[in-house]
Amino acid sequence: MFFHIVLERNMQLHPRHFGRNLREHIISKLMKDVEGTCSGRHGFVVAITSVENIGKGLIRDGTGFVTFPVKYQCVVFRPFKGEILEAVVSMVNKMGFFAEAGPVQIFVSNHLIPDDMEFQSGDMPNYTTSDGSVKIQKDSEVRLKIIGTRVDATEIDKNISQSRPKWDPAGSHPSRFFCIGTIKDDFLGVINDPTTI
Amino acid sequence: MSSIEPFNRLVKLVARAFYDDITTKGDNQPKSGRSDNRGIAVVVLDALTRRQWVREEDLAKDLKLHSKQLRRTLRFLEEEKLVARDHRKETAKGAKIYSAAVAATADGQPFAKEGEEKIKLHTHSYCSLDYAQIYDVVRYRIHRMRKKLKDELECKNTVQEYICPNCQRRYNALDALRLVSLEDDSFHCENCNGELVAESDKLAAQEGGDGDDNARRRRREKLKDLLQKLEVHLKPLMEQINRVKDLDVPEFGTLQAWEARASAAGRAANGDSSSNDPNKSSQGYGGTPMPFLGDTKVEVAFSGAEGKQVDVKSETDSTPQKVLPPWMIKQGMNLTKEQRGEVKQESKMDGSSATGGLSDDKKSTVEDDKTSLQDEYIRAYYAALLKKQQELDEAAKNQQESSNTPISDGLSGASSNRQVGMKSKREEVEGDDDVDWEEAPVAGTTSESFKVHDLNVEAEASAEDEDDIDWEEGFLELQSRVILGGGLLFAMGLTGCVLLLQTRHE
Repeated sequence: MFFHIVLERNMQLHPRHFGRNLREHIISKLMKDVEGTCSGRHGFVVAITSVENIGKGLIRDGTGFVTFPVKYQCVVFRPFKGEILEAVVSMVNKMGFFAEAGPVQIFVSNHLIPDDMEFQSGDMPNYTTSDGSVKIQKDSEVRLKIIGTRVDATEIDKNISQSRPKWDPAGSHPSRFFCIGTIKDDFLGVINDPTTI
Repeated sequence: MSSIEPFNRLVKLVARAFYDDITTKGDNQPKSGRSDNRGIAVVVLDALTRRQWVREEDLAKDLKLHSKQLRRTLRFLEEEKLVARDHRKETAKGAKIYSAAVAATADGQPFAKEGEEKIKLHTHSYCSLDYAQIYDVVRYRIHRMRKKLKDELECKNTVQEYICPNCQRRYNALDALRLVSLEDDSFHCENCNGELVAESDKLAAQEGGDGDDNARRRRREKLKDLLQKLEVHLKPLMEQINRVKDLDVPEFGTLQAWEARASAAGRAANGDSSSNDPNKSSQGYGGTPMPFLGDTKVEVAFSGAEGKQVDVKSETDSTPQKVLPPWMIKQGMNLTKEQRGEVKQESKMDGSSATGGLSDDKKSTVEDDKTSLQDEYIRAYYAALLKKQQELDEAAKNQQESSNTPISDGLSGASSNRQVGMKSKREEVEGDDDVDWEEAPVAGTTSESFKVHDLNVEAEASAEDEDDIDWEEGFLELQSRVILGGGLLFAMGLTGCVLLLQTRHE
């Protein structure tokens, strides 16, 4: 699900950026740092829409770096249990298939695939109904329901540290949501077959 | 106990449905034919349906079980939330109360415990069925069973689990990303790189189901069958639950409550008839130590209330001339409150007679909370206010009625005497109050009351300055007047309310 929320972050800026373009520098650095990151609490930061307020900078002893508290609005994407998503299949194997919805990886195990679909191995592994009318293979688009989510432990750490002022730049670990989904329900399954286009 | 029957039936059904093959032995112990005690839970539960609270020793004796074995079973049943237990240290006397209670319930259990006496303190355990909880627990249990089967059947919302056949390490679908390997399309163990197999559901695990179609279908069949069987077998139980649904749940309460109630009932029965009962009841009374603690508390409260009522009566007796129908209710309120105030006052008077003065008041109030202190403060405030108003009233009355003058004189005398003789003054004050409450409504024409209000505002200001002093001197009389404060609210009207609120806020 997408949300438009206000987040806050302390930006450290090198003294060489001080000058007329200070604000632009802060904003561009913010975008570079934040967009595409993920936290367990808010999910993926898709895009920064506006900067609400840049607070007073604080010069850090010893380094000369200045820390600015920045409030910004952004669009975040967070998967929830029970949510219906549309995703692109990225890999098919006998255990099930993996799909991606933007930054989110989803695994659909074979027991959550309708019983009438069978795994066909080969050059292009796929799940096919007995009459061959529906086929799930790489690059198929499927609609699925999320039945479980997981965030990496490093993400939770980062999450905690984000709640209090943090004086170092964005965490170096790119965080990931991982979900498991099902297509064994009404109105779920393939919505667009790449071969028929 | 007509409503208990369906519940007992429910318990029996539950016992046979769910606890039929429960052994209290650990699983690691080998089950020889002799130590096989399956079904013991059923026996115990059945026995409990015929009793209320029962001492575990007695139950063991009745069931011809070893008490250890019984205790183990009961502990299990307690964990299953079917049985409520209570443990307490008691002397033989305490045990006798229980026996008396048992005798009083007279539900067909012949307990002849009167003779047995032990002097030492022993920890006795008691148990009884907790019907309300049983009902809930059973419903929940059935719900869980159904849900699990249905989920398995529809493979809904279940996170697939994988297991490594080599090292028995388990994974679930959320780990899938880490488990995929590049060389082939199956999952591999992080530990030993063995190929993982899907743990098809827990119920049909033996098939080793690696998810091929045949196994899946078979599993479904099996599940469906299982679910159907469940429905059939639990049908009588479900029916009983539905029957019981709208009935009142029999409630024994805690052991203490039950004992108290049972022995009370027994005593009540004894009052009517029976020759040998009195000694039983007297025993019940004599051996009060533990179970009757709660009861005695209650009695204390009662006695307090009674005392108050008596006092009130005496008060009304002493002042029989006040029979003014329109103000009856007000007066009644007044009196009781007054009475309460007086009681407090007397307790404080005792203290003040020893040392006297403010310190005593404080000493007594220290025990109370700060809030009570604040209350006192407010009361004192009111007393001061009231005094002002009374004086005003008196003044007004003096103008109107010459007959009142002696009384008002008395009042002024009292107010001037304040610091000197507290007791005497208090009495006077009381007299004044009475008079005041007789007269005030009579004299209360609107114009006057307005005047009073205005002056009250002034009085407030002055009273705030004098608070401390008022607190000291007004303290004793104030109790008797607090009440007047209540009544005063009516008389004072809105300004009074505002005042009160202000003082509260402060």
